[in-house]
Amino acid sequence: MNRRSRITQSVSIVMAFPLLAGLGTPVFAQSQEEILHYAGADREKVLAEGAAKEGELVVYSAMIADQALQPLTDAFMKKYPSVTVTFWRGDSEDIAQRVLAEERANNVVVDVVEGTSVSENLIKAEAVQTFTSPMLDQYPDSYRDPNHLWAATRVSYYCMAYNTDMVNAADVPKSYEDLLDPKWQGQIAWRIGSESGTPLFITNLRSAWGEEKAEEYLKKLSAQKIVNFGAGSARTLVDRVIAGEYAMALNVFCHHPLISAEDGAPVASQLMSPVASTTATLLIPKNIRHPYGAALFTDFLLSEDGQKILLGADYFPAHPKVLPSEMLQKIVPHEVGYEENLVRPEALVNNGKKSDELYQTYFR
Amino acid sequence: MKTLQLSAATVPTVRKINFSPVVLILAAILLVLIIPPAAYLVASSLYTTNFDGSFDQFTFQFFADLLRNPYFLRSLMHTAVYSLGSACVGIVLGTVLAIIVERTNTPGRKYAFLGAVISLAIPHVLYTVAWLMILGKSGPFNQMLKAIFGASAPTFDVYSLPGMILIEGVGFVPLTFLMMSAVLRSTDAAFEEASMMSGAGPIATFWKITLRMGMPGVLALLLLSFIRAFESFEVPAIVGLAGNIEVLSTSIYQSSRATTPPNFGQAGAYSVCLLAFLACLLYFYGRLSRHAHRYQTITGKGYRPRVIDLGRGRYASMLVLIAILLFVIGLPLAIIVFVSFKPFFGSFNVASLSRWTLKNYATVIGPGFFRSTLVNTLVLGTVTASIVVPFTALCAWLAVRRKPAAWVLDQLATAPLTFPSIVMGVAFLQVFVNLPFPFYGTLTSVIVASAVAYLPYGMRYAYAGVLQIHSDLEEASTASGAPQMQTFIRIVLPLLSASMISCWLFVFLLAVRAMSLPLLLVGPGSSLVAVSLFDLWQNGQVTELAAMGTVWVALMTCVSGCFYLVARRYRILTA
Repeated sequence: MNRRSRITQSVSIVMAFPLLAGLGTPVFAQSQEEILHYAGADREKVLAEGAAKEGELVVYSAMIADQALQPLTDAFMKKYPSVTVTFWRGDSEDIAQRVLAEERANNVVVDVVEGTSVSENLIKAEAVQTFTSPMLDQYPDSYRDPNHLWAATRVSYYCMAYNTDMVNAADVPKSYEDLLDPKWQGQIAWRIGSESGTPLFITNLRSAWGEEKAEEYLKKLSAQKIVNFGAGSARTLVDRVIAGEYAMALNVFCHHPLISAEDGAPVASQLMSPVASTTATLLIPKNIRHPYGAALFTDFLLSEDGQKILLGADYFPAHPKVLPSEMLQKIVPHEVGYEENLVRPEALVNNGKKSDELYQTYFR
Repeated sequence: MKTLQLSAATVPTVRKINFSPVVLILAAILLVLIIPPAAYLVASSLYTTNFDGSFDQFTFQFFADLLRNPYFLRSLMHTAVYSLGSACVGIVLGTVLAIIVERTNTPGRKYAFLGAVISLAIPHVLYTVAWLMILGKSGPFNQMLKAIFGASAPTFDVYSLPGMILIEGVGFVPLTFLMMSAVLRSTDAAFEEASMMSGAGPIATFWKITLRMGMPGVLALLLLSFIRAFESFEVPAIVGLAGNIEVLSTSIYQSSRATTPPNFGQAGAYSVCLLAFLACLLYFYGRLSRHAHRYQTITGKGYRPRVIDLGRGRYASMLVLIAILLFVIGLPLAIIVFVSFKPFFGSFNVASLSRWTLKNYATVIGPGFFRSTLVNTLVLGTVTASIVVPFTALCAWLAVRRKPAAWVLDQLATAPLTFPSIVMGVAFLQVFVNLPFPFYGTLTSVIVASAVAYLPYGMRYAYAGVLQIHSDLEEASTASGAPQMQTFIRIVLPLLSASMISCWLFVFLLAVRAMSLPLLLVGPGSSLVAVSLFDLWQNGQVTELAAMGTVWVALMTCVSGCFYLVARRYRILTA
């Protein structure tokens, strides 16, 4: 063998190695669709055996890493020690983009996706496949997709947060109308740059009140010189309220102020009818590498055991039998007499453009 | 006849192109690493994208949109003011510090080096967050102003251009200080002595002699700081976006990330503009650096920079030194440590001390997510630096010794400097995800991208190092029959070891604290400290961020401390 062909051979081996590693994923007789819809009595056994052969599982989720994702994956791996779960935490928008990029490149790394506003974008791009889970039988219809493309994992309620040192208990705005009092001018902030921020606030009012009344209200609200907060999550904005940078913040996750108040922070939540609520959803992308593991993880997350782990992170589980903690029950709208408006994932995305236009017109 | 003339003319040209196999291999590696992301970027600005992000129609629409977009011009203006402002703040403070340390007998001046090296290890995102806590509406600075002026509302709004300039500028000080120290150290003090002998005071001497002799260095530093601010991302993302002040780097981020579906075309057009601006600036920087040798004043005659005896004034200069070090490292670290013990992020008062907790440290140090993040980051820094240093040492040696066509290596290895980190992140993401094997999202992919990004820094260190070595020894080695590679390994590398150690640490620190490049590239199982800190900030987990930051800075202080000792041993720093 001359020198040149030796080099060619070495290069080919080096180039082929990662290719072979990629193709080394176990291939089973059943198709992905069969696995994800398998309804036999031995479902758990079949899935667990398949997942053990796959050996690994990749989850992308918007849940807080150390408080929810880590305990969840730890519990799963304790129950199924042959499966190694790795996760990546990102905002819902980041997750959707990453999945689309993988799909486009025919290089799907993720097996299970979870987040607040990921579903509609992935469904529109036809990047997800259908699945069923026996756990879903106990879930209400509003918490699952009729076409089996997504299932709700947790619920979020949105409300106003206020600094208790800066706003007297007697003055606290109790309704959207109360927010229009001129004395609050420049003291209210809301979150831009995220679908669960201004688009959700505006979409909620439009769907509950109708276009005309909502726009009229937004026009009046714009006179309040609302601060456009563009850095970080709703939780970050609550921190700013605690720190006294803003007296009030609109459309934050209702449980965040409660958690901090429990630790002694000067902050409280105020619900306003109609209270916007959303669900985070679980989806399974097309062409995944570990379908057994994905189905097994789906069952686990939607089961009572899995949902109870979310309680530890102070989330509102979607499972009807797993009630939120006593502290958080105070802000479940229908429990405390407030009107609730569930903004479904498709409603948020389909109304997003118009809601953004209204934001641009009155508040940018 | 015509044919004959042509072939005669082409013969010498053909002979000139005489690549050695080593140069060819190195150039090929560099081309494979650099061309694809650059090509992707240009293509993305010239094609519309489908809903799923794939390329569709060829168009110039994105560039036309930029020109029509009023936010683009505003963003450009913000970028210019912000970059110039922060470069000036950084250089003024860095220069003052360098003069105190290099040219005066101020007590404790040597600790400035340790402070600078430690602060190089602090991730920029942690630093930015620390300053936001200090300067925020409810932070100690505004509380102090309120107490002084009796104002009811906060006086200073940090979410503004001045706020951004201040934070970025102070962040530059360690770098400007180290570079200005080098300039001052290499300037012959004989001229200053002559000036003082002629009756000029220290300030007049500094203004008329020291500054003018060091002018090329100062200008190059100004340009470098300007370029770094131009492409910086952490301060614009964390401070600017909150205050509705967009600069080019955040416009790219907003276009490529914050919208779904992503507007890759717009991000590409922004990136191409940013690249064009940077390429122009780097051209001028290159010219300035090239002509710097005209001002060389090291004579090689047992020369030692003159230290000015400030008399009692040295206590005043000590106060200035302490003040700058407090600004650069003391205050940000103090506030981070303070917050790391709090159960929630809130206002700063003594009452909050009663609720101190170790919960945040338990989360960070315990097994799980954060621990693997720490390990990943150390692996990233170590491997990246260990790839870049020998690779650039070989490239620089070939280039300096004018091996055939080796200048190409210098050019190629310097090219990534034109890529702002955030742009490189976008470009590499698209390249990695399209590879036919599982590579994207892995720690190895972040290492490859980081190695490319830091090649220029390695190249500059190695280039300067090789220039200092006389070629006699290598010629002796070659004359004794040693092949080229053996000469490099047995003669050049040992002689280069001092500059390679400092280069290794520099690249290590750059890699472990970088955020904007790996932000887009990390995946499951490859989380990194700086990216996690940004994530914690965005999630509002500020107290956990502070605990993680404290642990990280403590760890990096140990690394920097070890380096400091090694540097003294090898006389890399003259402190």
